[in-house]
Amino acid sequence: MIRHSLSAIAMLSAVIAAIIAAIIAAVPAAAQPAILPLIDAHVHYSHDAWQMVPTEDAIAILRRAGLRKVLVSSSSDDGTQKLYQAAPDLIVPELRPYRSRGEIGSWMRDETVLQHIEARLAKYKYVGIGEFHVYGADADLPVLKRVVALARQHKLFLHAHSDADAVERLFRHDPQALILWAHSGFDRPDAVRVMLRRHPALWADLAFRNDHAAQGQVDPAWRALFEEFPDRFMVGTDTFTPERWFYIEEHAKWSRGWLANLPRPLAEKIAWRNAEALFARTGFRPVD
Amino acid sequence: MMLFRVWLALLLTVTACRAQAVEPPVFDATQLRLIRSFGPWPPAFHPDTGNPLSGRPSAVLLGAALFGEPRLSKDGGIACQSCHQPQQGWSDGQARSRGLERLDRNAPGLLDSRLQRWFGWDGASDSLWAAAIRPILDPREMGGSVVATATLLRGDPVLACLAGHAADGAQLAQNDEELLVLAARALAAFQETLVSPRTAFDDFRDAVLAGDRDAMARYPASAQRGLALFTGRGQCATCHSGPAFSNGEFHDTGLPFFITDADGVRRVDPGRHRGIARLKENPFNRLGRYNADPGSAAVIPVRHVVQQHRNWGEFKVPTLRSLLFTAPYMHDGSKPDLESVVRHYSELDEDRLHSDGEAILRPLRLDRQEIDDLLAFLGSLSASLDAPAADYAARRADARRLCP
Repeated sequence: MIRHSLSAIAMLSAVIAAIIAAIIAAVPAAAQPAILPLIDAHVHYSHDAWQMVPTEDAIAILRRAGLRKVLVSSSSDDGTQKLYQAAPDLIVPELRPYRSRGEIGSWMRDETVLQHIEARLAKYKYVGIGEFHVYGADADLPVLKRVVALARQHKLFLHAHSDADAVERLFRHDPQALILWAHSGFDRPDAVRVMLRRHPALWADLAFRNDHAAQGQVDPAWRALFEEFPDRFMVGTDTFTPERWFYIEEHAKWSRGWLANLPRPLAEKIAWRNAEALFARTGFRPVD
Repeated sequence: MMLFRVWLALLLTVTACRAQAVEPPVFDATQLRLIRSFGPWPPAFHPDTGNPLSGRPSAVLLGAALFGEPRLSKDGGIACQSCHQPQQGWSDGQARSRGLERLDRNAPGLLDSRLQRWFGWDGASDSLWAAAIRPILDPREMGGSVVATATLLRGDPVLACLAGHAADGAQLAQNDEELLVLAARALAAFQETLVSPRTAFDDFRDAVLAGDRDAMARYPASAQRGLALFTGRGQCATCHSGPAFSNGEFHDTGLPFFITDADGVRRVDPGRHRGIARLKENPFNRLGRYNADPGSAAVIPVRHVVQQHRNWGEFKVPTLRSLLFTAPYMHDGSKPDLESVVRHYSELDEDRLHSDGEAILRPLRLDRQEIDDLLAFLGSLSASLDAPAADYAARRADARRLCP
């Protein structure tokens, strides 16, 4: 009898504990006092930024924004290396194929880019290749096929600013590829859903997008997408001009605002855990 | 004004000489529709229903008096007209204006401002009267205060008399803030009267509509080719649209927006992004208690506008009318003359534009002839400002007569 009672109490305790855990999980992040860490997965430090925002100032901005890690790619890659050397605990370098600004529209037809990429891969550590721009059938050009092969060889992900068509082509070159879809392709939620369902190794950043959240509220269509794919999204600022470095803190604040509208576990995934999980799928090991 | 006439004559002559080898363009249906949309000029007056003093002649006189009133400023040395001078297209000729301190932006011309929806380079105000309050209270501009403005309006016999007339016989408000609003509404009523004169372009536009070939032929061929570029390959009319040659909205045109202070500290001017925040928190916006017409459609934009990432570094599309008088150009006065503005768009740095942002902007790669043609067209949107300047002087004289 006593044994039955103890067993019942234990079961009841377990049920109560499970209920409490569920309640905690469902409480919006806003109710939780701790500042939400973020990984900014879309930062550039290109040559025109180096003088206007010196390296130490750039690192100070990133630290003030409360960022846990920052995924950086730059035109040229020297910008990324400057930041990485200054703050290896903060910067996660990815290799942008552009040797200077102005190659966005031509790099995929310029095979000398490959020498540049291979030389940098031999010299430095990276988590991915990108962010690069390629659309439609251009993703089938020889340069792109080689870039995909290099990513596989070096265990890197691809950070593609592309339409869905180009992403499909990149996956055809290597069905095992890991792809981070810049700006979620600037596509509608239903189109992003199709791509995420089709490709389990596709992640999506939300840089330079506003449609998923306004005034701290998450759009219902995007919320459904976040709930269906809690492990695939991440946030990013996109510092495509030097002045945008001064937007990083503002963007972090904005991101924390709308993430607070989600349950804390989901908010944390989009805020930083998904990026960290993607980094862990590569051969790169961040410095703690 | 004399200098302006000489400049315009030279510009049109030079471009006309260069144009001799090239015939005037033939405008297609789309271009003709655009040309029609740049008029009629001057536009009809529609009062701002949110401002009870809008269009009221007695308020215009008070506004004209206040516009030149330095006692609105903290040190008694800066009036509205210090930075908005009639001879300079109601701007000041400085790259960045100076109030009590050096400011971040170029003083925009005030002509035709009543046709706008947002006011200031960042659109931080949604009415002309709310925009009039901002520089009075800004500690870096005039450094005035609600109390000081109200005290001036009550205590100065001339201004009190004019305010009484502006209030149309009603007893003057006792509340300081309400008196500040009265002053701002009168300043707006005055600024609504500042309208660019008709220009050579307006005559051409009306001639096109009337099918008057003789009148059309009087418009220089170079200006016509510039107009064809403006409405064609240049796609300038996408943003510089309508009779005021502005869509009234905000764009990133690839212009740097860093500011370096005297002490070497570098910062940015966030432009429209911060403008939206300031608009939302402004107690004098159209959602506030002082809007006399809270049910009007003008309330909708301020209620719904939200900050977007693209707003960072966006600035308002300025009018192109009376452009020759408002150099230097752009929000920070960084372009000393019109040719450097045209060259900016000709040699645009596309990397400064987000690839999914301002897709309308592409480097125009203009040749010398095309630059001259565009300059000729832009020059034809200005005419002597003697009349508006004389009107201002006349209104101030009328005010003195009404309340000596």
